[in-house]
Amino acid sequence: MRIAPTFNVAYRALRRNKMRSVLTALGIIIGVGAVIAMVGIGNGAKAQVEAQIASLGQNVILIFSGSTTSSGIRTGWGGAGTLKIEDAEAIRREVPGVIGVSEEVVSTTQVAAGNQNWFTRIFGESADYFDIRQWPLSDGAPFTPQDVRSANKVCVIGRTTATQIYGNENPIGQILRIKNVPFTILGVLTPKGLSPQGVDQDDIVVMPYTSAMKRVSGGTTLRNINVQIGDPGQIAAAQQQIISLLRQRHNIRPGRDDDFTVRTQEEIAEAATATSRVMTVLLGAIAGVSLVVGGIGIMNIMLVSVTERTREIGVRMAVGARGNDILTQFLIEAVTLSSVGGLIGIVCGIGASALLSTYAHWPTLISIGSIAIAFLFSAAVGIFFGFYPARKAAALDPIEALRYE
Amino acid sequence: MKNGSLVKLIDVHKTYRTGEMEVPAVRGVSLEIKRGEFLALMGASGSGKSTLMNILGCLDRPTSGSYFLDNADVSGLDRDQLADIRNRKIGFVFQSFNLLPRTSARENAELPLVYSTQRLSHAQLRERADRVLASVGLAGREDHPPSQLSGGQQQRVAIARALINDPEVLLADEPTGNLDSRTSVEIMAIFQQLNERGITIIMVTHEQDIAAYAQRNVVMRDGVVVDDRVVPQRSDAATQLEQPLPSTL
Repeated sequence: MRIAPTFNVAYRALRRNKMRSVLTALGIIIGVGAVIAMVGIGNGAKAQVEAQIASLGQNVILIFSGSTTSSGIRTGWGGAGTLKIEDAEAIRREVPGVIGVSEEVVSTTQVAAGNQNWFTRIFGESADYFDIRQWPLSDGAPFTPQDVRSANKVCVIGRTTATQIYGNENPIGQILRIKNVPFTILGVLTPKGLSPQGVDQDDIVVMPYTSAMKRVSGGTTLRNINVQIGDPGQIAAAQQQIISLLRQRHNIRPGRDDDFTVRTQEEIAEAATATSRVMTVLLGAIAGVSLVVGGIGIMNIMLVSVTERTREIGVRMAVGARGNDILTQFLIEAVTLSSVGGLIGIVCGIGASALLSTYAHWPTLISIGSIAIAFLFSAAVGIFFGFYPARKAAALDPIEALRYE
Repeated sequence: MKNGSLVKLIDVHKTYRTGEMEVPAVRGVSLEIKRGEFLALMGASGSGKSTLMNILGCLDRPTSGSYFLDNADVSGLDRDQLADIRNRKIGFVFQSFNLLPRTSARENAELPLVYSTQRLSHAQLRERADRVLASVGLAGREDHPPSQLSGGQQQRVAIARALINDPEVLLADEPTGNLDSRTSVEIMAIFQQLNERGITIIMVTHEQDIAAYAQRNVVMRDGVVVDDRVVPQRSDAATQLEQPLPSTL
């Protein structure tokens, strides 16, 4: 059979019933558009979460005091006060591949300068903290290991804290009173935005952990220890070594639960993106349902078309069309409908995502891959739902088809 | 031209099955048609002439018996093989023209070539369709769709479509059934002209005066051939067209 005239026939048959073709294609347009937009939203959310996880730093292992199941009492991360400064020093000393360790204590309190005051979070850290979290300063300088050793009254502050207290003034060199202790501000951190949990990461004061423990929170245990590993290939080994080191240091007998929790950044990322991945699949599936409904619309119209054109099919068979020729002709018609609908749907989907990210400020991410899959899927819908009507046409008896009124 | 026999039916039966009942439509027809004949197949409705026509046109297969077309047994071929035979050897003309609507005369005439195994360029296709349309007197109307053509012109497009693949035999099923008498004569004039050029024509009709344009009349009744004779006084459509026909006025 000649293919070009067959496309021509399909094109003309579709144009003959313009409104009907447009409405049928609309089902696919909406389906494909919805798939593109929904998957775009899901992927956008996932990419955002991933970027935020990456902002934790690179090759980081987090050790929290307490375990989620310590002797039946669920104390949660950071709640048990089992991590000591000496634990951090032991990790620094004994675990191979470690390039940075930051002891962390966290408290919240009122800070004041001049006649301004602000309630914020105080992070006590080591001097490695800024490297571990890849968090450079936008102005000034970080505190030094010497400041940590001497528990000096110095700190750096986040952008939000800076604007809340000092407005447009330059905070560097100013005195910030925390629990009535004057701290000298050494620098301002670059803005980091919201965390995956929606916390403003820039609303922060970072100071040597020694100063924080001695002058602000008064505790003697660490909330957590941030460890950075130089070679990503060593993270798993380092994680195991930290666990056995801490079990040994805490005198935990075999068979008893840890009184600390060790998480790699990858595990945290895994957990955080799982939600958005499920959301992407769910959104895609719901949109996929509308694509299937569109496909049923195609099947419906193709069945009508086969009935309407029974005589034409009879004539074509009488002049020598084989069953396969008729099948191909109707399949091409169905696939033309669905793939033209698919192309328009892709444009609509991209447009809808652009509108959503512009006006609703939802992050959307449309990949070439999802466009290709949506298009192939729409063509497949045409083949799948066009096949039954096309086969019905091909199986017609030429004599009865010619006699059909 | 081998032995000159184009169509040979040997004891052909066709029985339809409706539930438990067996309805015989053709009950043992043997018929031989030579190349270049113009034969009219006649009979009342229910006589089995349409069924026989469907078998001759390779649209249907006989229940028993043999059908040789162009010295090849076609009675046992499958659907696709029959489609190829129809495409290469048979041209159909129907009572209701059966042209594709909203499709130009040229494209209607081209239709069999779309399913042909010959590979023709678009230009060749067009050239051939225009030539065959001109041969049935439709030069200048190639681009008209059926809705802009009279009944007679539509039937000529159908004849052009039947001829485009140079078939062995032209099968016409009541070709004048939907036409007025003057136009019917015009169509018969075309048939006689084609027949003179050597094309074999088998025409089903129930009208005695239309059958009179053929050379040979075969009459069927109750599924068998009851009469087979040469037309004694053949009508000549061309001469009739030269003089005004009282019947059309």
